[in-house]
Amino acid sequence: MSGAPPILEARKLSKHFGGFLANDCIDLAVEPGEIRGIIGPNGAGKSTLVNLMTGVHQPSSGDVLLAGESLVGRKPHEIARKGLVRSFQVSRIFGNLSVLDNLVAPLLAGVRTREARQEGAAKARRLLELTGLTRLADAPAKTLSGGQRVLLQAAAGFMMPSLTCYLLDEPFAGVNPVIKDQLIALIEEESRARGLTFVIVSHEMAVMRRLCRKITVLIDGRVVAEGSLDEVAARADVVAAYLGKSYAG
Amino acid sequence: MFSFELFTQALIAGVVIGVIYALMALGITFIYSIVKMINWSMGEFYMLGSYAQYLIVVYWLGPDLWYVAAILSAAAVFLAGWLIEPLLIKPMFTGGIERRDDYATVVTIALLLLLRNLATALSGPYQRTPGTKLPGVMLGPLPESGARFAAFLAALAAIALFTFLLKRTWLGLALRAASQSRVGAQTSGVDVLSLDKLAFGIGVGLAGLAGALLAPVFMVYPTDGVVTTTKGFEIIVIGGLGSVPGALIAGVALGIAESLGATFIASAYQNAYGFVLLLLVLALRPSGLFGERLRQA
Repeated sequence: MSGAPPILEARKLSKHFGGFLANDCIDLAVEPGEIRGIIGPNGAGKSTLVNLMTGVHQPSSGDVLLAGESLVGRKPHEIARKGLVRSFQVSRIFGNLSVLDNLVAPLLAGVRTREARQEGAAKARRLLELTGLTRLADAPAKTLSGGQRVLLQAAAGFMMPSLTCYLLDEPFAGVNPVIKDQLIALIEEESRARGLTFVIVSHEMAVMRRLCRKITVLIDGRVVAEGSLDEVAARADVVAAYLGKSYAG
Repeated sequence: MFSFELFTQALIAGVVIGVIYALMALGITFIYSIVKMINWSMGEFYMLGSYAQYLIVVYWLGPDLWYVAAILSAAAVFLAGWLIEPLLIKPMFTGGIERRDDYATVVTIALLLLLRNLATALSGPYQRTPGTKLPGVMLGPLPESGARFAAFLAALAAIALFTFLLKRTWLGLALRAASQSRVGAQTSGVDVLSLDKLAFGIGVGLAGLAGALLAPVFMVYPTDGVVTTTKGFEIIVIGGLGSVPGALIAGVALGIAESLGATFIASAYQNAYGFVLLLLVLALRPSGLFGERLRQA
């Protein structure tokens, strides 16, 4: 698998907010089919990185490439249509739409032929089953619990017809263990079945160890380490950033 | 002096005018739910619709084809809104503006002044009417002017079409999604900025249609949109900002309140009864009948 050109790449990516350097010359290369983890203490610039890659913010300098094509200057909806889809820390579901319509909405971006629609409907039903939301398909999404909303939002991303690379921003935060397992199963299933690429930003080390073979550590807007969770966790600077200098030994 | 017949008459008259008011309110609430702004120049788009109706009927089609003229007038106002949105409203989202509400207020009030004064400069302060050949009708016990009844039916048809568009089409799904979460819609690959253009056009088009339909009833002059716009905003507050069923029900409720008040209390205060209803709703349900508490997305 190594040696394949990266599907998602950041090159010398920087972002200033006023005088604050949120991302400092970040290089990142994610291979096709990889599940990459991104960790880092609060304020390390993880969300900024996600926002730069998905067009929510424009970088101050540097480049973002999806399958070799630059995304800088593209609008968020264009980037989503190109196949780089994201989820949000705060759920962005459509509260007054039914759970099923929430899943169908991403089809708006795709082809509207009859077959595409039927295929989409079938996919939506399968995702409802995988997430255990079948029973609630016609309920307004605002009646879901917090965890169910997280699941729904993640599932909606899988509905994007063009999806090749899925950025999940803190998908496990504040989610109960049952839903967490469902979400992990969903990611593993979609990764296996479709060879999708994932970039997962999370603090949940146990989940990250299970899902990601390679982890990128951000501290103060910089990439300080890359490797398996055990490798990066063994590094003194990473431990210091997480636990304070006195633990770094 | 209460008589059941009088009551029924007032009730029917209230429903008829209420549905037409609702058209205006729908336009305001629709623009708000997608573009997240209050368009204070709605009355001027109503006015544009009424002048368009006047010009088309008097100089081109004649009063027999009033309905074709109304469709053309609404389409012309839609087009005006569709062209104005990228110039004035879009910078709200793309120009790095921090206080969007303030920006929208200033820009749309400026637009209001511009359009109103342009109308005065071009047509003078005169009251005009496209005229109508529609014969009066009996609605149960109520004799109603033909133009008003025609406006009522056309408004019902427009509301039905609007509801169909919103509930049954892909565009409607995109619009409903964008109204709940702009960011979420973008994540789903929806181009929210071009939806804005469309939504602004449709919203002011509804106001323009109301203006065209009411042109033979309330006359055509540079400030003819003021009263209907005021009602539109009253309805929005009563029904709840951003709620389509709220706009319909509150529109009819306002029409009925005005009509009953004018009939049984004093007709001089017709425009005040709506405000009494408004105050009542504000006291009992501050977010309106169907409004939701605002969540900043």
